[in-house]
Amino acid sequence: MIFDSYEAYRAANFAPKVCILGSGPAGTTIARKLGAAGIPVVVMEAGSRDFSDESQDFYRGTTVGDFYFDLDITRLRLMGGSSNHWAGWCRVLDKQDFEPKAWAPDTGWPIRRADIEPYLPEVRDILDLPDFRPDVPISDDIRWVQLIKSPAVRFAEKFADELDKSKNIAVVLNTYATELAGDGKRVTGARLWSNGQDAGSFAADYFIVCTGGLENSRLLLWSNQRSNGGVVPNATALGRYWMEHPTFEGGDAILGNYGAFEVDAVNEAFFSPTLAAMERLRIMNFGIRLIEKPYPGVKNLIADLACTAPNMAEWMSSKLSQNLRCAAQLYVAWEQAPLASNQIELSKTDVDHAGVPRIELHWKKSELERRTLLEGLRLFGATLIEKNLGRVRIADWIGNGADYPTDEETAGHHHMGGTRMGTDVTRSVVDANCKVHGMDNLYVGGSSVFCTSGQANPTTTITALACRLGEHLSKVVFV
Amino acid sequence: MSFFIKRMSRRTLVQTLIALPALSLFRNRPDANADHAGPSRADPDEIVEVNGWILKRSDLA
Repeated sequence: MIFDSYEAYRAANFAPKVCILGSGPAGTTIARKLGAAGIPVVVMEAGSRDFSDESQDFYRGTTVGDFYFDLDITRLRLMGGSSNHWAGWCRVLDKQDFEPKAWAPDTGWPIRRADIEPYLPEVRDILDLPDFRPDVPISDDIRWVQLIKSPAVRFAEKFADELDKSKNIAVVLNTYATELAGDGKRVTGARLWSNGQDAGSFAADYFIVCTGGLENSRLLLWSNQRSNGGVVPNATALGRYWMEHPTFEGGDAILGNYGAFEVDAVNEAFFSPTLAAMERLRIMNFGIRLIEKPYPGVKNLIADLACTAPNMAEWMSSKLSQNLRCAAQLYVAWEQAPLASNQIELSKTDVDHAGVPRIELHWKKSELERRTLLEGLRLFGATLIEKNLGRVRIADWIGNGADYPTDEETAGHHHMGGTRMGTDVTRSVVDANCKVHGMDNLYVGGSSVFCTSGQANPTTTITALACRLGEHLSKVVFV
Repeated sequence: MSFFIKRMSRRTLVQTLIALPALSLFRNRPDANADHAGPSRADPDEIVEVNGWILKRSDLA
């Protein structure tokens, strides 16, 4: 059932056991799992079926620190959530991403990758994926990693009919949960906002917060403030350890056989370090994406190379004159070291139309990441030489230690952390089952539970974790 | 003017003057018998960074 207003939903007298906040990939996946298990569940979606500036305005906020996107641009507030602008790249976090790293504090998850692997067949169906492919080692240091492409499933489009026909699932649009109330053991209700006004309190046996990698922290911070710590009793880490995938053009490569790495429809290839290389250099994970360099750029690259290595430049020039592709731009996205100081706070001066404080995001990239970027490009360059595949030129700003450019991609719009998973209540918010520490009936879904970001786009891991949480809840919730 | 210069032809003198700047190339040359490898004996597969390029030494001109 899909209701366009909270009033219409109330008139239907549906009695859910579970209330999910948010209808993005995590919320929709958990709802479908619970619905299939015969558990009545309501999904409260703050937005409507379509994009609107009025709805997006609730997402405005400010950023302190490094340059970042406007917070009302980097995510979407409508049915299906940010899947509505997802590009479709899919890959589960690496096995090594779940492991603690001695050179990077606060890394390591309380679960291993093996804990989510059983859900990957289900994830493939949800995201309409071809088979996952194993990585291909290129050298002792570099792997050719296999991202696969979803047709960029829009969850609202794909599942609207199924949700509408479901007897166990009610999706309620235009209904914004502004805060949760709790007594330090249980959530006792959610305050709702609908049709531009307060719509009263809503009760359910279980609450699952799936409002996104920024909004989950905002909702819980505000709820905790309003209930004097009654929603997240152990709140030291709440909002902290927020992460992105910084993404910048790191340089260029000339390649002897460009076609050797073309397997995707979009002809892009991705490379990452081996765990051994990360350990040796004490760096984080990264992904180097090869994108074909446009012709004028190749000519400039040849001219640059001619000053240093004329024979290589001559070879490259001959390739170009034969209309053979021989150069790529190198886009680097990397794993951020989890830092407590990268955090979501509530604005002290600015609130949305419902009176909820807006987000003040504190975000800075660290020296470890800067070193990861430089050493990563060096590793890739050394591998191309070792395997006689080509040569790399590192962008001047990286070699010179200049500031990050502000006119580039900047980051992946991947919002991770803030309610991270863990066993230490001072350094995490949820446990291995995504249940908020100390609370009996409050869970969190989505990338806000990530302990580390790895280098892979998060949607695949979000969906796998949602399948796992849905299965766990279907055993916990009794009808 | 020394005895040698007086005996040199004008042509030889000009050629010598032209060649003088090149003498600096022969200064500070590595000892062929030294243990360390100088530029002439460097590993051609050694990885070097020049102007941002990651290259093999043998790539260099």
